[in-house]
This record gives sequence, structure tokens and C-alpha cells, in this order.
Amino acid sequence: MEHEQTHDGAPVIEATGIVKRFGGAVAVDGVDIACFAGEVHALVGENGAGKSTLMRILAGILTPTEGQVLVDGRPLEGGDAKASLEAGISLVHQELSLVPEMTVAENIVLGFTPTRGAGFIDRDEQRRIAQAALDEIGVRVDLDEPVARLSVALRQFVEIARAIARQPRVLILDEPTATLTPAETDYLLAMLQRLADRGMAIIYISHRLPEIFALGDRVTILRDGQLVRACAIDELTSDEMVDLMVGRELKRELETHREDVEPGPVVLCARGITAPGVDGVDLDVRAGQIVGLGGLVGAGRTELVRAIIGADVRTGGTATMTIDGETTDIRSYRQAVANGLAYVPEERRTDGLALTMSVRDNIALPNRRRLSRLSVLRRGRIREFAMELAHAVELRPPVITADVGSYSGGNQQKVVLAKWLGHEPSVIVLDEPTRGVDVGAKAEIHRLVRELAENGTAVLVVSSDLPELLELSDVIHVVRDGRIQGTLDSSEADESAVMRLAASGEAEVPA
Amino acid sequence: MTTTDAASTDGESVTALEGPGAAGPEGFQLLPWMADRGIVLFTVALVLFAAVFVDGFASLANITDVFNRSAPIGIVAVGMTFVVISANYLDLSVVSQVATSAVTLLAVSNSTGSVALAMLAAFGVALVYGVVNGTAVGIFKANAVIVTLSTTFIGLGILRWASGGSIYFGPNDGPIRAFGLAKIGPFPLSMLVLILMTLLLSYVLRRTTFGFMVKAFGSNREATRLAGVNTAWIVIGAFLMSALGALIGGFVLAAFSNTAVSTNGTGYDFEALAAIVIGGTSVFGGKGSVLRTLLGVVFVSVLSNLMVLSGLGFGVQQMAIGALIVAAVSLDALARKAGAA
Amino acid sequence: MTESRNDTDSTEAGLDLGSGADLSRWRTVLARRTEGRAVALLVVVATVALVLEPIVFTSYEVTLGRLALIGLVALGLTAVILMGELDLAVASTLAFSGVVMASIDNLALGILAALLGGLVIGVVNAFFVVVVGINSFIATLGMLFFLRGAAFVLSGEEPVRLVAREAGIAFGRPLIGPLSPRILIFVIAVIALQVFVTRVRAGREFYAVGGNRQAAYDAGIPVRRRVYTGFMISGFVSALAGVINTLERTAADPTAGGSVLLASFAAAIIGGVLLNGGRGSIVGTLIGAASLAILQVALTLSGVQVDVQNIVIGLILLIAVITDPTTLRVVLGNARALFRGSSQAQPEPG
Repeated sequence: MEHEQTHDGAPVIEATGIVKRFGGAVAVDGVDIACFAGEVHALVGENGAGKSTLMRILAGILTPTEGQVLVDGRPLEGGDAKASLEAGISLVHQELSLVPEMTVAENIVLGFTPTRGAGFIDRDEQRRIAQAALDEIGVRVDLDEPVARLSVALRQFVEIARAIARQPRVLILDEPTATLTPAETDYLLAMLQRLADRGMAIIYISHRLPEIFALGDRVTILRDGQLVRACAIDELTSDEMVDLMVGRELKRELETHREDVEPGPVVLCARGITAPGVDGVDLDVRAGQIVGLGGLVGAGRTELVRAIIGADVRTGGTATMTIDGETTDIRSYRQAVANGLAYVPEERRTDGLALTMSVRDNIALPNRRRLSRLSVLRRGRIREFAMELAHAVELRPPVITADVGSYSGGNQQKVVLAKWLGHEPSVIVLDEPTRGVDVGAKAEIHRLVRELAENGTAVLVVSSDLPELLELSDVIHVVRDGRIQGTLDSSEADESAVMRLAASGEAEVPA
Repeated sequence: MTTTDAASTDGESVTALEGPGAAGPEGFQLLPWMADRGIVLFTVALVLFAAVFVDGFASLANITDVFNRSAPIGIVAVGMTFVVISANYLDLSVVSQVATSAVTLLAVSNSTGSVALAMLAAFGVALVYGVVNGTAVGIFKANAVIVTLSTTFIGLGILRWASGGSIYFGPNDGPIRAFGLAKIGPFPLSMLVLILMTLLLSYVLRRTTFGFMVKAFGSNREATRLAGVNTAWIVIGAFLMSALGALIGGFVLAAFSNTAVSTNGTGYDFEALAAIVIGGTSVFGGKGSVLRTLLGVVFVSVLSNLMVLSGLGFGVQQMAIGALIVAAVSLDALARKAGAA
Repeated sequence: MTESRNDTDSTEAGLDLGSGADLSRWRTVLARRTEGRAVALLVVVATVALVLEPIVFTSYEVTLGRLALIGLVALGLTAVILMGELDLAVASTLAFSGVVMASIDNLALGILAALLGGLVIGVVNAFFVVVVGINSFIATLGMLFFLRGAAFVLSGEEPVRLVAREAGIAFGRPLIGPLSPRILIFVIAVIALQVFVTRVRAGREFYAVGGNRQAAYDAGIPVRRRVYTGFMISGFVSALAGVINTLERTAADPTAGGSVLLASFAAAIIGGVLLNGGRGSIVGTLIGAASLAILQVALTLSGVQVDVQNIVIGLILLIAVITDPTTLRVVLGNARALFRGSSQAQPEPG
């Protein structure tokens, strides 16, 4: 943890006065950041804090609305992958940039494959570069193996080899240890330290505090798109960092906190669920109860809920729904929906809504049977139904004939909720229900979720938004690496407790 | 302060408009409007132009001829609209289906003396086509263009082998001939069939749950699946609609000339597609209507007629229609880009 | 840990992968190849032909000639499909180029014009895909219709006789050993394309463009340029096929290409190219083309009409496109999950 912190002169990469707006929403609001050669600079903040946006701006993928990025003093041209690469910036982001059918060697040199004369690939040089990169990070992999056949962890390492093969000045990594075991994580951290010692500037984005404290020299903490603190790691304790990340907000008044209601019988029951990314989970949700799933990105929560409800294939375990005393296996998603399941997926634009269709039609889709007689749509009934629900979710403005794609994120999410409200579900599963949603709509969505529970629906919520998770849930399961790491009751849960379980897997952070 | 986590958005392309926006933030946008409403204008303009400037267009004989020729293609096109709306590009097998339907009608009615039986047989074949195509595309998730390309060749091969390429003639006093000759005023009966089919299929598309689900599926497959819809059946249904169009279209074609041969229906695949996309149905799926297809049929048939009257050969017609398809789809693609910007 | 690890891995980074015994190495290598179905088809077809119609092999020039034609078009298709696109216009590019060539009296000029035309067609196709943003299926479909019409217009709706007839006849005669120029050109094309997609950087990047287009962009690969190149290859090769076809028949038929279209698609797809891109090989297409050539020639020699032949080829294409290895796995997985009826689980009170 003690590093040489001699910063002689200018930073390798710096960004000043960065503001980034998407339409009406501000993702990054006046942030400065600088990283020096040989430094590991951690960038932390919750989901929605703006770290990914800032990271993309630093990498040159996005152009900032205001401010600029300087690399070695020269301004970086945004939106041009080649320019960024030539400036010496390498990004390792979460969606792996590997071509599955190409070999390890080919992937490592992708985009700058060495050639000799007339564009012929210099295979020897290709192997040499690839091997050198792999040696540098200390991983041994068969150069000729197609990447698709490698384990997830090895793919991650090949990805990193790819990033450093061009000898970048700056290496930016986004949650690189999300899919690694503790042993692999240690290996990675040691490797990054070696690279830093050799003069590379490293920007490291992660939620995992132990890693940050082990590796980082300096840290920049973001919250709600703004810079909260930038300092040397040594100056903070883990608790302080968590507090800075989540903010010392006043705890909400008890009136918005749910009263202790006796939860009803178990409606959704999952036992031994296994699936890609899920490693044996048991879970119950009772009628009128809101169960929250907390955890870091990549912990496997989305995979878990989708495996339970049948939206994705389950490799093991059972899930059942019990309604009015009758228990049925969840064998297929369609059947589960027919029995009273509702699912609000994580990606509303690609999975939750048909953007080119009207609000009314989107609301009608899962409820079509009720809104038709003998397969003929009852137009009047549909209109009433949609209007009713649009008002119930406070869609603004409630024009049900408008294309849903023209509404803001918050309103779109309300439409998703509206359609499922109309379904009168016995169980509703929500994945990140207020991501990309403005504050006003967020409060309204919370109200709707609570109402659902009050009416007896069993609610399962996945959320990376800690205040939201705490506010809504009666019970919180914290997921890590595909398993439930711990369970907190609403009375004993606070943001730090959840964060610690999620980030380090332990109730207490080691001193 | 409003924040969005860019990881959940599309990066640069996200906009957050408050309220409905058929007109975007800049108000009226030409490109999307053209893609949407332009066709009505163009069709009317074309017909007027033809009536005024082109010799021989406005005669009764010519108009009747246009009706007769456009009816079978139109019927095929309105059926195929379902496939296009479901975002499955098109159904190339309509060519072989039309030929098979026509030949089956005449061949079976000639040999058994029963038109009803012939229609039933043809119906059975259409069913097979629809189910095979629909299963391959809907359940096996294969590419619709390639699947229907293969079923076309398989179907045509079977037809030509079974019929030996011979031409079938209906009896001169038979009901089929009578149908082909019948008229209501200046309108051949085939036109009536076209209009009835259009009304029927339009009703199915707009007013039934099936039609609704086809549109939803074309707009967003995954969201439709997650709404609890059996998407495999939707695709099969769409191809069955197309098969229905080809079936009836084949009947009408056979009635018109009282003959049937295995080369019937040639070119119907691209003419139907042209009618559909020119009518304004998007090849990307999710948007469109049967009535629009009818409009497109009018446009394409008037245009073809004009080309014939002007002495332009078959080749030029093909070029024109090919270019029109590309133009119409380009307009749609550019309009989408403009709308999303 | 997570389910997605495969068993050849260890949980510790830094361990060798692929250091197993040579035999298991070979097995995994073979299992990865995409040409399996084509090889299977070839074996079946060749065996049946050997038994029923051995002339296919004894007069191999005919078979090779057919292979050359189907193969050329299939090669162009492969280049485009590897990138995740499709070129449906190949058949009419063939016809159109042939007509262009025959319409020009000077043979050399005619050939040049035809080949150039193929390149231009490729550029136009790529333009619509890359710049306008139309799906390549529709763009090339429109081009197919357009070129069909153009071929008709240019030819006056009937076959165009080649002026330099003697050159055409000479072209059909064997040049090196028993191999006629058509076959030699095909061999050169195969070698050239194989080298291109395996050893030349631009060609190898086709796999990236098709396999993970976003990664290709991120790595700084000029994706647009590659797409243009791919369509130009396809256009050129189809035009080449058209030139060869016209030379051999000493006439250009504006309706040419119909039977080749089906067979070349079947050849490419059964050869293992994945329609979504990123997978496949020239070798696979070659094997596929060989099996289809043998099939077509055998059927023709047995007196089977073209229409009936098309039934068989159409079936092969249909089955090939349904049994796409990756999608098949998903489909079967879904079916299995659907039918896996687990025993009644009792909900345990929390």
C-alpha cells in the first residue's frame, strides 16, 4: 500500500471541467481528474454517480459537453477509437472486446496486427507481441486457442493483455475483477502494481474497497455526477470512503418507511437455483413482502431472478409459485406470466417496451386476453384500461396514443409498470426499476411498488441504488459472486452494512 | 439534480424528451413525414398524371386490364404484409405458392369435376407452406429470406415435376371461367376479391389480438416474449397469412385467364414487396398496415401499366421496381435516423 | 465458481491451457471446425454418386466445371457472410456482367467492363448498407431485382451472342493438363481468398467485423472500409463467374444464374459460414461447393430435370440453415428446459 508517489511534472492524462449532458439529464457535472505516470488512480462512486460516463470520456469514446481531456498535454479527440489508441489510452471495459472465434494471439493484436509487405500478417511478430503481453501480465495461455473456449477469467486476462500490448501510457479498467475469484483478483492486482511500477498510469474503477485500498495511490470519489473528494488513499479509511460515496443524507422519515405488516404466505419459492453466474440460491418471497436483492454489478442478481422466473435457462434448482393455495412449478416464463407473474426487466429500451408502439399498445400487450373478446380487441376497453393505468402511474403527459419512445426514461419506466399493474400480478420482479429515471418519477415508482405490496403482491426487487433498496425492502439479501452473502432485516440494514457485504463479503472491513 | 447512469443508456444517442413527439423537438421533420404520408400524395399524383398525360390510360379497357392484373398481386401483397410487419423481411415462396395454387385449382377441378375439392386441396398445400416456413423461422430462428428461398425452389420443383410443366385449361363453361369474366360495372370480380381480402386482413391486423401481437413482435421481439407471448406461433401465423394471400391470389389469377401453368406468379415476390414498402410499411417491422399495402399496390400497378403503355420493356419495369424498393426502404432508414437524432 | 467456466480451465490464472495430450488436442481442434456438415454431405453424395453414377468422377472436367461456377459465387458470398452481411444480388450480378461483356465487341474491353461493373455493384451495395443503413438483406434484394431488369434491358430480352466466338470456344478447352481455364481461374480465386482471409490483415479482420463488430470498432479497425471490400469481392467474383459463363456458352443469357444461386447459397451455408458472421472458412465453402457440384452433375447425368434437382438442393439449403450449430443448441436447450418437468416442490416457510 505504500507507493512511491513522486509526481514529477505533468500528469499523463487529465480532464478539467468535464460536464456531460445527455439530452436534459446531466451525467457528469464539473469534474476534474488527473492521473500521473506510475500512479494507480481509483475512481469510485455508486451506480449512477457518473463513473462510467467519466471513464468513457477519459477513454475518448464520448465527447464531453464541456471541458476537455488532455493526454501528455495534448487535447484528445473524442469519438474516435483510433485517435484514443494512438494517444496511448487503453480501455478494459466490462463487455469484453474479444472476437470469440479468433485466437488469443489474434485478439491481443486486434487492430494493430503486424504486417510485412502488402498487408500479409507477420505471424511470428504477432506471436511475439502476444506472448510478450501475456508474459508481462504473467499469464500462460495457448496462443492458438480460440478465445471462445477460454474460461471467463482467462478471457478477462486476455482482454487485459490486449489492452497493454500496445504499450499504452494510460490503462483504464472498469470493474476488472467482477468475474474473478479472490485468488485471481490478487493475481490481477499484483500484476497491475507491476505495471504501475514500470511507469504506466492506471485508472481503476471498482466498487470493491479492499482492492482499492490495496492497490490505489489516489482516489477520486464521485456522487451524483459531482466530484466529492480527490485525495490520496491513505487519507481515508474504508468507512469514510463509503460515507463519501453514499453521502451523509438524512435518513428518510419513518412515514416513508414501511410499517411492519405481517407478511402473508410464501408466493415465490426458489431452491438451489443454479445458472450461468448463479451458484446455488434459495429464496422466498411472501405475499405483501418486498424482498430486495443488493450487490455489486456482476454479482449475478439479474441472472438469478431471470433464472427463477424462467426468462433464462436454469441449469438446476426449482422455483414455484403458490397462488390461492395452489403450487405450480415455474417451467416456462410464459406459463409463469399466465399464472400471475410480472417482470420489469433491467433494460427497458431493449426488453421492456416496444418503442415504436404507442403507450396504449404497450400497456395492452400483456393484458390482451382480458382486453379482447374471442380474439377481437375491444378498442374502447383498451383505451379506458390504458388511460386508467396511465393516470395511476402518473404518466406525464398522459397521452396514450404517443409513441412510448418519445417519453423520458422515467415516464417510459412508468409505462412498463403500468402494463404490469394492469396484469394484477401475484408476484412482481423488478430489476433496477429506477435506473436512468429522474427524481420525481423515481418517487412515484417507489410509491407504486409499495402499493403493490400493500395489496398483497409479492415483490422482488433488484437494485444497485442503496437508498432505494433500503427504503423499499422489508428484507435484503446481499448477493455476491452468484450466492447470497448475507441477509439483512430492514431494521438492521443500513447502506454501509449492505455495501460491506457486497464489496468485501464480510460484515466488517479488516483494518 | 437529474442524473442518468450512462451505462444504461445508449451513450451519445440518448435524448430525454418530455411528452409525446410525433414531431420532434424541432417540430415538423420532412423526412419522417415523407416516409409516412408521402405515398398518398405520390399515388394520387401518379394517377392524375397518367390520366391526363398518358394516351390510352384512361380507357375502360385499360383500367379493367389494370384491375385484373393487379388483383392477384395485390392479394398476395396484403397477405405478405404480415410477414414484413413481423420483421421477417419477406416471403419469397409466394411465387411457388401462387403457381401451385393456380395449378391445383384447375388440375384438381378438371380431374374431379369439383371446384370445392380443388380449393380444399390447394388450401392444404398453403397450410403446409405456412407451417414449414413459420416453423423454420419462428422455432429454428433461421433467416426468413434463406428459408423462403429454399421453400420456393422445393415447391416449384415439386410442382413442375408433378405437372410436367403442362398448361391447364379450365372448361369454357365452368364456374372458374364465369368468375373470371364476371364484372360489377367496370370492376372485375377479382377486384372485389382484392377489396374483400384487404378488408378482412386489415381487420385481422388492426383488430385482433393476433394482429396486435404480430406488430408488437416486429417492433421488439424480446419485449413481446417477456410480455408472455408465444412468439413461435406468431411467426407461424404470419407466414400462414402470407400463404393465404398466395392461395387466393393464385385462384384469382387462374380465373382471370382460365389457365394455370407452373410459371405463374413469377415476379410476384418482388412486386408484392415493392407494393408493401412503397405503401409505407417498414421493413424493420412493427409499423405498417394492410390498407397501406393496397395503396402501394395501386401505385405499383399504375406505374407498371404506364411503363407498358409507354413501350418500356419488362426489363425496365424490373429496374424501376427494384430501384423503388431500395428508394422506399432508404427513405424509411434515413427517416429513422433523423427521428432518433 | 461461475457456471460459465469450461472444464479445461483451472481456477488459477497462470496455469497452462492446452497442455494436454496431443490426441485430446486434436479432438478439440476438430470439434471446433465448422466444416463438419459439408464434409458429411460430401461423403454421402460422393459415395452415392460413386455407386450410381460413377461418370461424375470419370468425366471430372464436367464436375470440376460445375464446381468452379458454384464455387466462385459461393466464395463471394462467404466473404460477405463472414462479416455478418449478405449479398443476394450475386446471381443477377453474374447475369448482368455476362451481358455487359457480350455487348461489347472488343473481348478484352468487354471483360474489363464486366469485372469493373462487378466492383461498382459491390460498392453500391456497401454504400446502402454502410451509409444509408439498410439491412444488407433488403439492399441486395433490391439490387437483385434491379440488375435482373438491367440485364434484360441491356440484352434486349434475349441472349446476346458473343462476338469473339473462337475465344469463347478456346476458353472451354483444357489449358494445363485436363484443366480448363475456368477451373484454373477458380483455383486461383480459392487460393487468393483463402490467403486473404487467413493471412492478410484486412481479410482476417473480416472475422472481427462479423464476430464482434463493436470490438472491431473499438480496436480501431476501419469497419466501413472492410464492408466495402467484402462487397467488392463478392461483386467482382460474381462478375468473374458471369464472364466465364458467357465465354463458355459463347452467349450471355440475361436469365443466367438461377440455378447457381440456390446451389451457391447451399454450398456456403452447409460449408459452415454462420449467417451472423464471424465463423466459417473458405475451405468449408469449397467442400460444400464440391458436394453440391457432384450432386448436380450426378442428377443431371441421371436424367433428373433441373426442377427436381432444385427440390433436393432446396432441401439441403433448408436443412443447412435450420441446423446452424449455434442456434440449434439454443433451440434444443429451450426445448429441453420446457420439457424438464421437475417434481413438485413444496414451498418451505421462510
